[in-house]
Amino acid sequence: MALIDIPPDLTFVALAAVTIIGAILALQARELIYGAVALAISFIGVAGFFVSLDAPYLAMLQIAIYVGAIVVLILFTIMLVRREVGEEAKDSPQSGEGSVGLWLAGLLSLAISGVAALAGPNMPSTLPSGSLPVSELGPTLATQYPIPLIILALLMSATLIGALVLAKVER
Amino acid sequence: MNPWLAIVIWGVIIVLLTGPMITLPIFWSRRKPDPFRDMPFESGQVPQGEARHRLVMQYYPYLLMFVVFDVVAMFLFAWGISFTTMPLDSSFPVILFLILLAAPLGYALHLAVRKENW
Amino acid sequence: MVVFPPTTPQEVIALILYIITSHTFITIIIFPGFIHLTLVVMFLTWYERKLLARIQLRIGPLYAGGPGGILQPIADGVKLIFKEVMIPYKADKPLFLAMPLMLVLFAALPFAVIPFGQHWVIANLEVGLVFLFAMTSLFPSMILIFAWASNSKFPFLGGLRSLFQQVAYEIPMWVAALSVVMLAGSLNLTNIVEAQSKIWFIVPAFLSFIVFFIAIMAELERLPFDLPEAEPELVAGWFTESSGAVFMVIFLGLYMKVYLMSSLVTVLFLGGWWGPAFLPQPVWFIIKTLIVATFMIIPRGVYPRLRVDMLIKTGWTRLLIIALANVFLTILLIHSGILSAWGI
Repeated sequence: MALIDIPPDLTFVALAAVTIIGAILALQARELIYGAVALAISFIGVAGFFVSLDAPYLAMLQIAIYVGAIVVLILFTIMLVRREVGEEAKDSPQSGEGSVGLWLAGLLSLAISGVAALAGPNMPSTLPSGSLPVSELGPTLATQYPIPLIILALLMSATLIGALVLAKVER
Repeated sequence: MNPWLAIVIWGVIIVLLTGPMITLPIFWSRRKPDPFRDMPFESGQVPQGEARHRLVMQYYPYLLMFVVFDVVAMFLFAWGISFTTMPLDSSFPVILFLILLAAPLGYALHLAVRKENW
Repeated sequence: MVVFPPTTPQEVIALILYIITSHTFITIIIFPGFIHLTLVVMFLTWYERKLLARIQLRIGPLYAGGPGGILQPIADGVKLIFKEVMIPYKADKPLFLAMPLMLVLFAALPFAVIPFGQHWVIANLEVGLVFLFAMTSLFPSMILIFAWASNSKFPFLGGLRSLFQQVAYEIPMWVAALSVVMLAGSLNLTNIVEAQSKIWFIVPAFLSFIVFFIAIMAELERLPFDLPEAEPELVAGWFTESSGAVFMVIFLGLYMKVYLMSSLVTVLFLGGWWGPAFLPQPVWFIIKTLIVATFMIIPRGVYPRLRVDMLIKTGWTRLLIIALANVFLTILLIHSGILSAWGI
């Protein structure tokens, strides 16, 4: 229905708001669990960005892995830490850490927009043309990138075996 | 219509129609905190100790395994789609991928069988 | 004609009529959308109680309106809404109230991709199956947060057990579905059902069907995988402290998950909406889904409960190995050309 075509700028602003506010809340929340939930929301925002950039499979991968597994791990680790440790971290003085971050972000955005304004009409276009449909993702991975796939497998096996050995030793 | 837009609309409708199910009863229920009513349920006895600090550590390796095999399963889905249209020799990297990951799986299962705790 | 934004009252009426009769509106609101979902989920709660009652040699809901207590879910809903919502002492009130809503949202959201008929799908995503799995992988974290937010020992232990159980059975579920994806050649659920026009995938992927069915029963926390709700041990598991409307919303979320997983089994293995033409396609779909739900309810009255470490170990060892074996079997089947007779 062409009547409710949402202009792409609105999508971008909404997703950016969700992602950035989630990330800020994740750092500044007074309870660690709130921070983990805000982080999950921020990850879902990133997945929304992948959808708007025409990579739906990557978006689903992001949700399933980051929000589904890694946030669970983070939550579990937060619950492992005793409450006293969490409260100590809250009571320590902030010493202007948040404001330094804001200053840096502000300067960086000023620099980027200055470069963009100076470049003018010679700016390269934002997206390379031609997105990869999902059915092509598998063959491309297997045929054009076999070495990174094997390196990934080795990396994951090493991580897993290391984690298992560590978990065995601690008991 | 863009399917993602349909999903967003569907999600908004669900939240709009089930949100009142939780928020309305809050408004028409008693709101005075009562120490006897709000005590956590422990079959009648008075709860002692911090409710949240007791934790089972013995199943932690399963969580780690889940993270890794989550990634593996996602890669396998990408491969499995085009399996019927690809010649067999282009599946060799993926099969090697699986075999390389069978090693930690086998090690984990060996540990699980040998140790009693997990 | 329909213009946007409408100015005269005739244009407003025309716009409203256009929206109401558009296919999108019908799919989102009526079928397979919100109205159908709530009706079937309520029916499912009644159906489970009646069926369990007959298995256990009793009668079940009898008096609530009409034959056999069919309005019992409505009576339950009205009762639960008017009960008081007790928030435990020092519980985390925003999370405690928000998590049940999130549970229902992520249980109902994947219904957008399930095809109830050739064109009866809310959102025909190219990555539909992975979308569904991504949404269901969010459940363990939400249950853990809810269990932590109710500041009490029973829910916390129940939440941890539930987390490990669901996490253990998600990978076998995905690998079992991988066999179906390999046979159908697409993640789009409509394409998967259309690929089953000659033969249902339960025949070439029978081991996957068994693994998937068992993994689903563990994901939904139904007996014999009932330990997170084990009544003699944990009172009611992770939702012990929920009462009134919170309990109702969680209950709804659980039964929505049951309906979702049953319809997923139908889509992946039982041929979706294919059936002889004397009944319309969505009716076949619902019949098959209810048969699957029946087979999920029956073990609840029959089998004893599995212990939690046996449960987790079975998920990681035996189910995962059977699922992987079926993937290799599917590779052999496809490449040997046996399945080409059925257009795979």
